[in-house]
Amino acid sequence: MKTMKSRRSGGDRGGIRKRGPIRTDRDGDMDMDAPGGRGGKRGGRGGPGRPTGSGSGSGAGVGRPARSGGDRPQARDKTLEAIQKAISNTRDSQVSIRQGKNAAPSNLELFSVLGWKESKVSSHRDGGVENLIAFLERRMNAHSKSGPRARITKSRVEGDSLVVFVRPDLSDRMLRLHDSLFAGVHLVVEPYDPSSSAVLDRELGTATGTSPSTADTKSKMTLILSKRYYPDTKLLDLSKLSADPDLVAMGIFNQTSTESKFFPALMKVWEMGFTNAAQRREAVESVSLAHNSLTNVTAVTTLSQTFPDIKNLDLSHNNLKDYRSINAWRWKFRNLEFLDLTENPFSAEPNFKETMMKWYPKLQTLNNVIVRTAEEIAAQKKTPIPVQAPHFQDDGQIAENFIRAFFTRYDNSRDELVKSVYDSQSEFTLNVNTSAPKAQQTESAGWDPYIKKSRNLLKINHLPARMSRAYTGADKILELWKSLPQTRHPDMSAHPEEYLVECHPVPGLPDPTGQSPTGVGGLMIMVHGKFEESVGGKVETRSFDRTFIIGPGGGMGGIRVINDILCLRAYGGHEAWSPENQAIPYATAPVAPVAGAAPVAVPAPAAAVPAPVAQPGIPQGYGAPAPGKTDAQVQQELLVAQMSAKSGMTLQFSEMALSGNGWNLDAAWKNFEELKASGSLPATAFLSPA
Amino acid sequence: MATATDDVLTKVSTEAATELVNSFYPALKNDRASIASFYLPTPTSILFNGNTVADGAAVQDIFQSQMPEAFYEVQSFDCQIINRAYPTTTATGLKPTTEMTVKDMSILVMASGNVRYGENRDQLPRGFSETFVLVPNPSSDRKRRRDWLIQSQNFRLVV
Repeated sequence: MKTMKSRRSGGDRGGIRKRGPIRTDRDGDMDMDAPGGRGGKRGGRGGPGRPTGSGSGSGAGVGRPARSGGDRPQARDKTLEAIQKAISNTRDSQVSIRQGKNAAPSNLELFSVLGWKESKVSSHRDGGVENLIAFLERRMNAHSKSGPRARITKSRVEGDSLVVFVRPDLSDRMLRLHDSLFAGVHLVVEPYDPSSSAVLDRELGTATGTSPSTADTKSKMTLILSKRYYPDTKLLDLSKLSADPDLVAMGIFNQTSTESKFFPALMKVWEMGFTNAAQRREAVESVSLAHNSLTNVTAVTTLSQTFPDIKNLDLSHNNLKDYRSINAWRWKFRNLEFLDLTENPFSAEPNFKETMMKWYPKLQTLNNVIVRTAEEIAAQKKTPIPVQAPHFQDDGQIAENFIRAFFTRYDNSRDELVKSVYDSQSEFTLNVNTSAPKAQQTESAGWDPYIKKSRNLLKINHLPARMSRAYTGADKILELWKSLPQTRHPDMSAHPEEYLVECHPVPGLPDPTGQSPTGVGGLMIMVHGKFEESVGGKVETRSFDRTFIIGPGGGMGGIRVINDILCLRAYGGHEAWSPENQAIPYATAPVAPVAGAAPVAVPAPAAAVPAPVAQPGIPQGYGAPAPGKTDAQVQQELLVAQMSAKSGMTLQFSEMALSGNGWNLDAAWKNFEELKASGSLPATAFLSPA
Repeated sequence: MATATDDVLTKVSTEAATELVNSFYPALKNDRASIASFYLPTPTSILFNGNTVADGAAVQDIFQSQMPEAFYEVQSFDCQIINRAYPTTTATGLKPTTEMTVKDMSILVMASGNVRYGENRDQLPRGFSETFVLVPNPSSDRKRRRDWLIQSQNFRLVV
């Protein structure tokens, strides 16, 4: 504790110099997130709140000079701005990964509570966390009878430590809980230091009597990692760690407490070497933990957090007995293709192969034996209904023009958009799917700005709420849209692959003139895509599904929006709608419009194939899956339809051209052009006179 | 008919959507022989991942003969009324306005959720988005019939 404190405020700040200010300034950073108004209040709160916690002051003084000079507001704002810039730069370049997760809500103080894992309640289902929190709150309140009840605002488990967030004025009470007896163990309560290497550093300090700085530990670990990393093969070789002379020299294995903290610290140090998650992910494909006498993976479990996407994992020559020994990785490493568990007792278990294949659906090689082929894995992934290019049936490009303009206008001028195509009868609702599957295993921002407007009928059951969450008429829609966050959708022309747009006619719409008893026809447009939005200063990418029904009306282009229904969900990528068979050049072949039917569809490449059924001379169901039809047949039919659309030839001749050219559309097209130029194609080859 | 208030309209439409979600997805899993009965005899458009399917019978056929077991979970859905006075064509021609009730509406339904195909529980579920248009059942047979039928449907895997 004492060493911590002195290090934080004193001169010994070598490697943590950068970190020190970041941490203490984090509160400052949060202040600055709040524009204008709150800044004023803050000064007032900072006054009484901070000084009273005289003993708590760990770090309170550091990094707050900006506020102390409560001089002319304008000058202060400038200082604040400059500091914020400096902080955000450091953050981005240094510890963006950690900061992302650790950022404390507004100005709460963080403390680590240790020791409870050895307590009697640690066998509880939640590891005793609930009991521990209740205990801490009780004890914090035991000290004072008056005032508001002391609460732990937020908490999370980090290794052996429970990290708790409390209001700054509760810091004293929190620290007083140090050494209190909880379920048979003495708790350690100390100010939270986000770097595991600092934790390890403390342990090493107590073990050796000296106090090497965190920077020293970190640089040693960095060196060890660099010796063990092979960038050419993207291998991180962490085998035979206990025999590593550098680690032995550091005293890592002298006592169990440093040993258990060493690996998580090593992982943190690795992460800190990268400025962005994508780079980090790509740097390593293979990890070896061979020859480490592991009896289970508890000590090294953080490997799965730092390297969730590795393909090859060597755990050979350990002492893993059965599946329970690696149960912590049951749902990790979803991309694992190679796993070596030779020279472990587990490998001799009767259900070994079966269990590992079940756990890791992409596993191909187990203990150096091929257990699955790449084809088998591809077949697993295949959807029962093949994914085809979008269906886009839009005579006169009405839907195309509408949708091309829509998202740019939604991003930039919602009021103009509403005025131009929404009328007094238009309806808009939105619903949030808060549990949708995600493209990445990352946490996504919350849904606060939307959730009170969400009309998810699974959750909104009462009629008044169902009514109040539906917005009818341009005025109400605009009022709602103005309350929703600013968005940025990708440019549809530049990034067509990020959208999927489908469209078809729909009959029986209300006739605004009231003249047609059978209603009027319109178009139904279904869009799937993504957008960006700024959440607390961070850019968040979300996915959406949005369906419009547009009909004839008095708006721009002679249309009006009748229905606009929006579903928001966590970012799910766009791979799901890229056609399954990449060999088929949907995206590349420019499709010549066929008279009367195929429009040039919206998002250029992805949507460029008109619906097979919309083409002349093509029977219903052609190119669609049907009972008894193989996937290969369906794909061939689609190619034939495409060839026919492009060349104007009949299906029969299109098929001949393709089968004669190994089902390669480009080759078939070239062949067709040659034959056509030389006049060798009969008139009967064409649907209509060419 | 013209006197239907907003609360009645909301009640009727949201209940119709709820009924669809609560009966259609379970049928895709457990009661595939009933799939055709959810559709209008001549639907406007049925699309699965961009594949055009002719009608309810064809959908049922695909699910019965090609699809492995499918586990759908709808996580969010919503609906809107498209036409409060939907023109229904019955066996005797267009239904006269005098016979129309509050239930003569067409409804847009949008569902979002996930689906897992096959028995392998280790497969990650896929995200889907599905849009339906429901219209009143034109059949005059009052027995064992659904109130609403699918006029159009568009299913897409989106994650």
